[in-house]
Amino acid sequence: MPDPTDEFPAPNTVDLSPLETAVLKVLRSRTGPVAEEEVPRASGLSPEEVRGSLQRLRSKRLAVVEEIHEATLRPTPRGESALSQGLPERRLLDALRSQRAEAEEALPEEERSAAIGNLRRLGYLEPGMPLRLRPDAPPGEGELPQEATLRRIAQGTAAHDVASVRALERRGLVRTDHITRRRWAPSEVGATWPIEEAGERIGPLRGEMLASGAWKTGSFRPYDVRAEVPFVFGARPHPYPSWLEEFEEILIGLGFEQAEGPLVETEFWNADVLFMPQDHPSRSIHDVLHLTGIEGRLPEGPVADRVAAVHEGRPLPGATKPLSLGWTHSYDPRIAARSVLRSQTTAVSGRYLARAPEPPFRMYSIDRNFRFEALDASHHIEFGQCEGVVGQEGISIRHLIGIFQSLAKAIGIGEVRVRPSYFPFTEPSVEGYVKHPRLGWIEVFPGGLFRPEVLRPLGIEVPVAAWGIGVTRLAMVALGCNDIRELFQDDLGRLRDGRV
Amino acid sequence: MPQSTLSLSRVQAMFPEPLPRARWEELLFASKAELVGIDGDELQISATPDRLDLLSEGGLGLYLEGITGSRTGLPHIRRATGPGPTIEVAATVHPLRPEIAGVLVHPPKRSGIDEGTLAEAIRFQEVIHASVGRDRRKASLGLYALERIRFPLRYALEPMESVRFTPLDRNRAISASEFFEEHPMATRYGAFGRDGNACLVLRDANDAVASLPPILNGRESGEVRPGDRGLLLESTGTSARAVRESLQLLLLVFAARGWSVAPVRIEPSSATSETETPVFSPRKIELRTSDLLGIAGERIAGPEVRRLARSCRMDVHASAGGWAITAAPWRIDLLGSVDVAEDLVIARGLSTSGTLLPVSSTLGRRRPESVFRRRFSPILLGAGLMSLYTPVVVSDGAVERAERSPDTIRLANPPSQEFAALRSSLAISLLESLRHNVRHSYPQRISETGPVVVRSTKGESGTETRYHIGFALAGEGLGFADAAALIDYLLRTMDVTGVREPAEIPATIPGRAARVRLAGEGIAEVGELHPRVLEAAGIPVPVAWGELDLSALWPLVRRPGTV
Repeated sequence: MPDPTDEFPAPNTVDLSPLETAVLKVLRSRTGPVAEEEVPRASGLSPEEVRGSLQRLRSKRLAVVEEIHEATLRPTPRGESALSQGLPERRLLDALRSQRAEAEEALPEEERSAAIGNLRRLGYLEPGMPLRLRPDAPPGEGELPQEATLRRIAQGTAAHDVASVRALERRGLVRTDHITRRRWAPSEVGATWPIEEAGERIGPLRGEMLASGAWKTGSFRPYDVRAEVPFVFGARPHPYPSWLEEFEEILIGLGFEQAEGPLVETEFWNADVLFMPQDHPSRSIHDVLHLTGIEGRLPEGPVADRVAAVHEGRPLPGATKPLSLGWTHSYDPRIAARSVLRSQTTAVSGRYLARAPEPPFRMYSIDRNFRFEALDASHHIEFGQCEGVVGQEGISIRHLIGIFQSLAKAIGIGEVRVRPSYFPFTEPSVEGYVKHPRLGWIEVFPGGLFRPEVLRPLGIEVPVAAWGIGVTRLAMVALGCNDIRELFQDDLGRLRDGRV
Repeated sequence: MPQSTLSLSRVQAMFPEPLPRARWEELLFASKAELVGIDGDELQISATPDRLDLLSEGGLGLYLEGITGSRTGLPHIRRATGPGPTIEVAATVHPLRPEIAGVLVHPPKRSGIDEGTLAEAIRFQEVIHASVGRDRRKASLGLYALERIRFPLRYALEPMESVRFTPLDRNRAISASEFFEEHPMATRYGAFGRDGNACLVLRDANDAVASLPPILNGRESGEVRPGDRGLLLESTGTSARAVRESLQLLLLVFAARGWSVAPVRIEPSSATSETETPVFSPRKIELRTSDLLGIAGERIAGPEVRRLARSCRMDVHASAGGWAITAAPWRIDLLGSVDVAEDLVIARGLSTSGTLLPVSSTLGRRRPESVFRRRFSPILLGAGLMSLYTPVVVSDGAVERAERSPDTIRLANPPSQEFAALRSSLAISLLESLRHNVRHSYPQRISETGPVVVRSTKGESGTETRYHIGFALAGEGLGFADAAALIDYLLRTMDVTGVREPAEIPATIPGRAARVRLAGEGIAEVGELHPRVLEAAGIPVPVAWGELDLSALWPLVRRPGTV
């Protein structure tokens, strides 16, 4: 008998469960191989328990199996029916002999043509229609050949007429069943394995054993520690907000306090406070998302008038000269009161500064913003920004670049370079690039010093450095995403199994 | 950023030696322009929106001359002497497009305009239209050969039936009605130059139509050809400032090539524009020493300030408290002292060496409410809920599937069906996530802590951003009690107990939904999703859902002195 278990663990590294022990005992009680279906009765176990135990014994190289493949002919349900009612050709022959036309017509069409064909081949019928028995038709009541073959198959008798068997198979009256019979025997090792001792070992440890102290008298059955175990998964944090929190920790460590603002803002906070002209192209419906059925209003207090003054190039109340030329357009408070989805976290900076923080101050805000964007691998209607401001006497462009360098270092990117840029609310404006080991130079730090037209209407007298880092882009780089949509991933398959 | 394609040879011609590509890249990286590419004689350049002057060959050449030191100081603009010609303005233009300004330009040595300068002017004109002109709405420019127009010109709103002209791109005269009906330029810009059956017309003294502002010139008197000697540059618009600035920018093309300029009188002037628009007057700006020191972060000595200002093509003189700066008229980005200071700092070079870190003793921390929200994250994970992060802007379909249409705020200009509304409940996002995950094994336990947006008169914007915890439990045997138990557990972690009361909640089975109150305030909702909702979403198992309003809970559980 073959022993195809060389790849399995050596038997001395495993132990036997009580079920396996019982089955092995049965195998060893016989002098030769035992049929698998006999083992349940001999062991008192269920067929399922026996089947599993035999396979485990085989994997432990304690049992070997011999497989015998058998082909057995059996009548189909239609064949069984033909046995009890007679084959169609028998019924047709009987009808013709008794001259019962109704019996002849009662045959189903598909059986009728097979029956006629058979009777013609056997020399019972005249050629042509109507059906007539030949005068020299075989006499007597003996069985037709297929009739005899079907009966012998049903009785399990051997020596079948091959042509008749094939004809019956074609007619769907008999079929061949392929059966594999297994016969088991102990392997050479299994024949001498100390099963008496193994049966007394402790399997799963139970509370009752602890309570009774029964574990003290037994020994523990070792498990096959290399066996497959169930597939489990647990709840996990989402990688994108987790990364944002890590980034946030860096800012907190640098002395920044958090600020938050509403996702829907009036254009006053989203743009006017930031000295963006009211007809600035980036305020159009092609850039900013507007809402239906929502009415906004201007903030209470003097801030709205002060912002209007700098837009129109007028002196602030109490001043003799304007801060600058302004935009010299007529400031429209109706535009200012329109509600839009926040397009930049700089709006949060505006609100923060309007609360007149005591210098020195450092603020950050990491949050969602929204712009009119067609969805693709690098653009999403929703994106994250990390806003930061530092306000204190003496803050300059050198400090801003210094902050960029320290942030880059904190996120593990060394080299930074800067070039001039433009934002309506900062002067000077710069764009900081960092050198990523894989992607090369990438734009990361847009920032600058807030213009006097932003600060003075809010009552801020110290210089303020500000930036709005595209954290979505940084997160994509850090998390190895090639598509921005992966950041909003809700596929449980990936979230359950992805790298933490 | 705005872009333009310039002639490389025309810019190079302003230097004694051609600049190698590496030098181009180095110089432009340190400027507000960026080299997009060089292809033969085509130099593709982009520039920040404040430095449109860099998108013309003349403007880029002037900048590079200064920054490389080959020519510094304020570019000289030759001014012709004597009174200028006149454009008469009828009062009828006022409601529609009241502002107009003009300037004459003459080539040096009485030569004519060459093809390169004409092409540059036309290209730059379109850059100006798209930016300062706000697609011609605020301002639009026109060029005319002085040889083919006779002053005074008259700018008026005329009945269309009296207007007939040959459009610049056609060979036969058509009526204004035909023009407005069929010409593609009229289709695009017609609304800015038409009021019912009348349209804006600029005619010369021979009654020839020079142009229909702001749409198109007439062929007879409004066409400019290479070799023309002397041009009228004209701008009309709704904003006096945009009209003036657009003209100042276009003037740059000619001034950089040594053309002289002469004024044009506007009579009668509009309420806001001057009789003689100071198109070519230099800009006078005071640079405060304190601004320069504040921005640069260190004191810059007087001679260095002078050198830097001149390299920025400005003239500079010491004045009380700082410096009197004179800049070219096309430097429309210079609004005040800080803008000049920025120019000087850029000219000096933005360096990553010698940087500083601000010293201060601020205390870094999260907002107390934000700390409060975060406390739930480990609790939710511990309860076996997978954490999600999904968009706030959702599809109309998602809103309808969650049966939340009535209280949802819609976008007026949605970029796609996928992003059309703001979620008012996390139930909308959670249901979508369950819908996306039907191929994965159950049970599924998901949660999100995030913002929702609801209508509110409390906020200035007419809305309120509130933070919720939402969760969904999907799987055989999961139901109302599981979700309610989880809400109870979350509240117990805050040492409070809510009171459940029956409620009608969208998308839930009647009789299997509750609102949870704490101190009379509704702080949570919980329920079993209706099979109708699950069937519509294609979810094959029962779903229990709960949502805790952290913005409502925070003021109720906050303890003074703790976060």
